[in-house]
Amino acid sequence: MEKLLTKRKLVVRIGFALILLILVMLACSMIGTEAVSPKSVIASVGEGQVNADYEIFVRVRLPRIILAVIVGAALACSGVVFQGLLRNPLADPYILGISSGAGLGVIVAMLLGLAAPIWGQSPVTVFAFVGAIGTVMLVWFIGRLTGRRHVAGLLLAGVVVNAFFSALIMFLTSVGRSDQVFATIFWLMGNMREESVLVLWTSGGVVSAGIVGLFFLGSKLNAISFGERDAKTMGVKTGQVQFAAFSIAALITGVAVSLSGLVGFVGLIVPHAVRLVFGPDHRQLIPLSAIYAGIFMVAADTLARIIVAPAQLPVGVVTALVGGPFFLFLLVKYSRKVGW
Amino acid sequence: MKKWICLLLFLVLWLVAGFSVFYEDDSALLGMVDASASKRIISTAPNLTEILYSLGLGERIVAVTTDSKFPAEAADKAKIGSFWQMNIEAIIAAKPDLVITLDFPQQKDIAGRLGRMGYRTLTVNIEKVDDFFAAVEEIGAATGASVEAEGLCGQLRGKLGGLSKQISGKERTSVLWVVQREPLRVAGLDTFVNELIELAGGVNAIGKTAHQYPPIGAEQVIARKPDVIIEPAMGWGDMTKQREAAMDFWKRFSNVPAVVNDRIYVIEGDTVSQLGPRIYDGVESIGRCLHPELF
Repeated sequence: MEKLLTKRKLVVRIGFALILLILVMLACSMIGTEAVSPKSVIASVGEGQVNADYEIFVRVRLPRIILAVIVGAALACSGVVFQGLLRNPLADPYILGISSGAGLGVIVAMLLGLAAPIWGQSPVTVFAFVGAIGTVMLVWFIGRLTGRRHVAGLLLAGVVVNAFFSALIMFLTSVGRSDQVFATIFWLMGNMREESVLVLWTSGGVVSAGIVGLFFLGSKLNAISFGERDAKTMGVKTGQVQFAAFSIAALITGVAVSLSGLVGFVGLIVPHAVRLVFGPDHRQLIPLSAIYAGIFMVAADTLARIIVAPAQLPVGVVTALVGGPFFLFLLVKYSRKVGW
Repeated sequence: MKKWICLLLFLVLWLVAGFSVFYEDDSALLGMVDASASKRIISTAPNLTEILYSLGLGERIVAVTTDSKFPAEAADKAKIGSFWQMNIEAIIAAKPDLVITLDFPQQKDIAGRLGRMGYRTLTVNIEKVDDFFAAVEEIGAATGASVEAEGLCGQLRGKLGGLSKQISGKERTSVLWVVQREPLRVAGLDTFVNELIELAGGVNAIGKTAHQYPPIGAEQVIARKPDVIIEPAMGWGDMTKQREAAMDFWKRFSNVPAVVNDRIYVIEGDTVSQLGPRIYDGVESIGRCLHPELF
């Protein structure tokens, strides 16, 4: 029997995870294809003149590590929410069509050859975000039309829209110019890159606020994950909570996807791993998944940066290759201890 | 409800603060440097590397991508990743004062990111033969090698012009240019390969298509009756093996003239799969297949 989650336990666990996250970020910032000496980075600040070490460390590596944390946290939290609300252990942030919607947006932007920034962002980012959010809204709308069996209808709508948009992507891929197609395929694999301070600031803010919002919904999500009817008898306004949780999860996933492409597996395995190790309470699952996914993404992206040096791998390849076996290990080790 | 309002308020303040502090106008960052001053050049594509060497700028190249294998000296330069997956840290570490990229989405992306950090970049479009000549001149202008660029263009144009005189009056051989066998894909009309074929005295056996490199079926192969089938060799592997595999594949089309007359060629892919200073060698290698009597 799982012991009840106390406030103290939660704070200790979050604190420990945060310290681990910072340590991993620091360690990974020292790893890269180019050796960067902290001394020369600091010296550069003192001199007021930028050297290559400073530029690599402050303008490329650090922003990329921070982005990895933001993306990981967003994907894992929305994975938690989708798994809980849909009561489906296979659910991940992409299950309601976000991935194919964003992918469709990207290939359209590529084929149109858009280059001029939109609101200071690359058109690919903007199109991916619009595609992602638009698709979720479409799926939600179709799901509503299916009526009472809302969850099943939503899932099916997601699957069908996903399949249809994937077909459109394939069609466009088959007629596109090879360079555009290649760029799209690399985008679909999920990549990290350095982003400006403004992008990190805004996306970090939106994702953090989203995570806090989901945390507020934690106890209601707990009730819903036992079943909608039970939740209603406990006085939870399930419709409202579902809508709020879906919206927030879709928003933060959209942000993550538009910045990094389709990084797979994180949103599926980190929530499960945290659930297997710490238990299924959403109030704990949400913050811990966010932090551990951040750690996982930073480590995976560091591997992606160095493993095929001097080139780089799409981080999505690493998350899938490392994540799969790691998850199987956890599954075998813990599943006897904890049920779903 | 109260905590939700607080959260939303906090987010709005956060975003406003971010925009007011960190928003910067990108265009202000792009400063131009004197053209001839570029002493540390990075090339992000094999044909760009070749152009730089042909302009006598080999000494000034500090780094190239891993796929830059010609001329042989290029292999000794520092590497900044592959054509498709560049390592921006390695680019910065090479301390370039000019980064030249192609007009491909991912290459343009790198150029944009470097530009925002204040690096000088030059993006050239080399899609067609005319683009290539324009790009050589652009690169010449950006590196203070305009004279050399003009010389290179003139020399190549002269050679190509000589060839076109040689083949004028000859009957145009129809060519099926195969880029992939399974599933079958060939070069369409809107490609530089098509231009190379025409420069070599041939005509593309495939008519107008929606795709640049259309996938086609066996029916089209038979109906188009190509006189010659050319496959550019992939990679640096064993040519004889690729030739055997090609023969084995094409023998099933026993009514196609190219097969009947044994005119299936596997040619060196390096000079015909990109537009670079070896364009004449590429055209000549195609010409040898189309009009063997001339060479």
